[in-house]
Amino acid sequence: MPSRRRTLLKVIILGDSGVGKTSLMNQYVNKKFSNQYKATIGADFLTKEVQFEDRLFTLQIWDTAGQERFQSLGVAFYRGADCCVLVYDVNSMKSFDNLNNWREEFLIQASPSDPENFPFVVLGNKIDVDGGNSRVVSEKKARAWCASKGNIPYFETSAKEGINVEEAFQCIAKNALKTGEEEEIYLPDTIDVGTSSQPRSTGCEC
Amino acid sequence: MQETELYDLSDDADYAASQQQQGSASMMRSDSSKRSSSSEPEGAEVVYTKDNVTIHPTQFASERISGRLKLIKQGSSLFMTWFPYKGQSSSARLSEKDMNLYTIRAVPFTEVRSIRRHTPALGWQYIIVVLSSGLAFPPLYFYNGGVREFLATIKQHVFLMRSAEDANVFLVNDLQNPLQRTLSSLELPRAVVAGLPSAPQSLVESPSQEHLKAVGEFHGESSSTFQYGGRQRQKGHDPTRDISIQVLEKFSLVTKFARETSQLFRETHSNGYGSFERKRNSQSAIDYTQKEADPAKKVPNQSFVPSDPLEKKPNIEHNHDEETSALVETFELIDCKEFDKLSLVWGKPRQPPLGSEEWATFLDSEGRVVDAKALRKRIFYGGVEHKLRREVWSFLLGYNTYESTDAEREYQRSVKKKEYEMIKHQWQSISPEQAKRFTKFRERKGLIEKDVVRTDRSLPFYDGDDNPHVNLLHDILLTYSFYNFDLGYCQGMSDLLSPILFVMEDESESFWCFVALMERLGPNFNRDQSGMHSQLFAISKLVELLDLPLHNYFKQNDCLNYFFCFRWILIQFKREFEYEMIMRLWEVLWTHYLSEHLHLYVCVAILKRHRSKIMGEQMDFDTLLKFINELSGHIDLDAILRDAEALCICAGENGAACIPPGTPPSLPVDNGSLYPQPDEVL
Repeated sequence: MPSRRRTLLKVIILGDSGVGKTSLMNQYVNKKFSNQYKATIGADFLTKEVQFEDRLFTLQIWDTAGQERFQSLGVAFYRGADCCVLVYDVNSMKSFDNLNNWREEFLIQASPSDPENFPFVVLGNKIDVDGGNSRVVSEKKARAWCASKGNIPYFETSAKEGINVEEAFQCIAKNALKTGEEEEIYLPDTIDVGTSSQPRSTGCEC
Repeated sequence: MQETELYDLSDDADYAASQQQQGSASMMRSDSSKRSSSSEPEGAEVVYTKDNVTIHPTQFASERISGRLKLIKQGSSLFMTWFPYKGQSSSARLSEKDMNLYTIRAVPFTEVRSIRRHTPALGWQYIIVVLSSGLAFPPLYFYNGGVREFLATIKQHVFLMRSAEDANVFLVNDLQNPLQRTLSSLELPRAVVAGLPSAPQSLVESPSQEHLKAVGEFHGESSSTFQYGGRQRQKGHDPTRDISIQVLEKFSLVTKFARETSQLFRETHSNGYGSFERKRNSQSAIDYTQKEADPAKKVPNQSFVPSDPLEKKPNIEHNHDEETSALVETFELIDCKEFDKLSLVWGKPRQPPLGSEEWATFLDSEGRVVDAKALRKRIFYGGVEHKLRREVWSFLLGYNTYESTDAEREYQRSVKKKEYEMIKHQWQSISPEQAKRFTKFRERKGLIEKDVVRTDRSLPFYDGDDNPHVNLLHDILLTYSFYNFDLGYCQGMSDLLSPILFVMEDESESFWCFVALMERLGPNFNRDQSGMHSQLFAISKLVELLDLPLHNYFKQNDCLNYFFCFRWILIQFKREFEYEMIMRLWEVLWTHYLSEHLHLYVCVAILKRHRSKIMGEQMDFDTLLKFINELSGHIDLDAILRDAEALCICAGENGAACIPPGTPPSLPVDNGSLYPQPDEVL
């Protein structure tokens, strides 16, 4: 590995209002879930130290307001992102349908240098609700969409129960790391993070 | 030569319309005799047209004047025109005459000195055109965008180059006549004169950078501060000189003011500090100015931050023994002579909240508020006791007028209740089948449902399953989204409604108080974010005025968009204080006693309190945002209100000039009484 190293990895969480962005972030960083998170106004972030191959990274996870009306703020917050997490609620078709809007909006506002290969990760959240009985977006449908957008890694999560959250964020971190490395060093594809076994997910392509 | 002869515009509807009104009176530009007359009538060609280019003559959104901007080429000359749309005045206060006052009639570019563009990330782009006479037109807001195209078109026809000093200033014909340029530079105040260019630069460059540039420069703004009173231009026979002097005066005022305020703050930092500490304080502040004057004497510690009286003092750390003796003398002189005056300027001690007995003294026998201003002042300094809020808030919010009697208000309550029920019934009567085909309704309802269940649920008033108050929040917000369908529902509204419902405890009354609040804060939720942008912009101007080192720090660290204040502004600090405190803050803000925009001074006060930490720890944008978010729950309201009051008083007119027209919360009319009800029922 070359010696110039990034230590900060910036991750943006996007998705419709109420899909669980704040909860996912808090479950991952603080291992906590609360029913009383307020609607996010503006933006906030949490950080978490992650380690890969004896190297420490700070994962900076940005949580943003989900209402469409605040999308224009993105310009200030999205720039410099290394990975974008798109979240929908498996019990809400609209939140799934909107993934495409969020993805495109992100690419426009963050204008990454290589939009074709910018890493996204999709999370279908709230799989715990009603024992899965109120679910309206099938895993198959979600995976098909992810495949059509360049094999976006996909996870089904429950921020409330802590299901798959750790795995999802590990994948997110690895993908972020990849972008970061590619930006600063000319040698891509040199990161070998091993293949982790992840239940209910295709896992990371990295 | 008259402009009308410059080219044939008889087929131009706008032009013809304005001609009818014009007469000989109210020609905006009385210096038209100076105009060159080199062109022939034929051969005029419109090379650029842009609709919905708008002037904001006052701060009231209802008084904007939209029109059409054109560039017209005739022979080798390029002209700019802007005509207001006819019969479009949205307010009775704007007469046709007023509108014509702003008309720009064929200004040749030989008379244009520079164009400053503002391309905020949020809100409308606008330009300020400065003439070589030193006059400038009011900002022209491009509601449909197109500033870049406008400049590019000009560049095709006249010599245009970017100012070396400021990438957003474009100099017109700057090299044509070096001597004239020098002369006019001498006459013009610094604020208007753009820097001399070093080399021509391409117009269309680094769009992304421009895009991110959120706020303009103060200097450009100051040139616009004297523009809004367009009428003044008519009377001067030598406008160049008059305006120059005017601006120079303004400028020296600002400088003088800045000096005085910093002095004031240093010397009056007595509240809460003993006189000994006060001395130290003033020393360290003066110490700083000396260091600044002598860059060689830089402090080795990079993160040294000059102190400011408003900031939090962790302890008394510095000891500048060498300067002490000389400075104490100066200080004591000021201290003795100025103390009384200065303590007036400093934020007054907060008072206990207004209680029932005192409240009764404000009312006449029929329940009218006799002296509204005295009441507002009283509440400004102490708030009101909780049990009185229900009654008092409806006045402060403008739902009830101060002149109304008890009987009238009671009658209004019943009328308004019916009206509320009627609007509420509109959405209640939507059948499931209808809702299936009514996406907008479903979406709004869904958003509201998601938000009310996460609004202040830790409060006993809103906690527990199936809480009836949560349902009321839902019903009121959904009804509001029908009452104001254009604005609809937006996140943050539930935060604004929650304390109102808590206080009013009545569905209909809460609704109408919320309506009144949204009359002021509605623009916060505009789709184009223009309301938010103008407030963040104003904060940046106020910080520049009131704390230049902090402003420079933000500038260097790419923080001038002030997005870290977004949450503060959007929901009036709702997330930053405990519930009781937020009610106190809101009633103080709603008095509009010192300024409608006290909340902006509150922002500046909080930032100033933490300036040394912000600068000392070299916070970047991310860290700053995090820091600000985490201040939630740790802000001393009374202290901040005193600071804000002091800042507001000290900033005075200069502060007001920092706040662009149309900045929320704007009141519809300001005629001495607070705000007459537009739909008074009695």
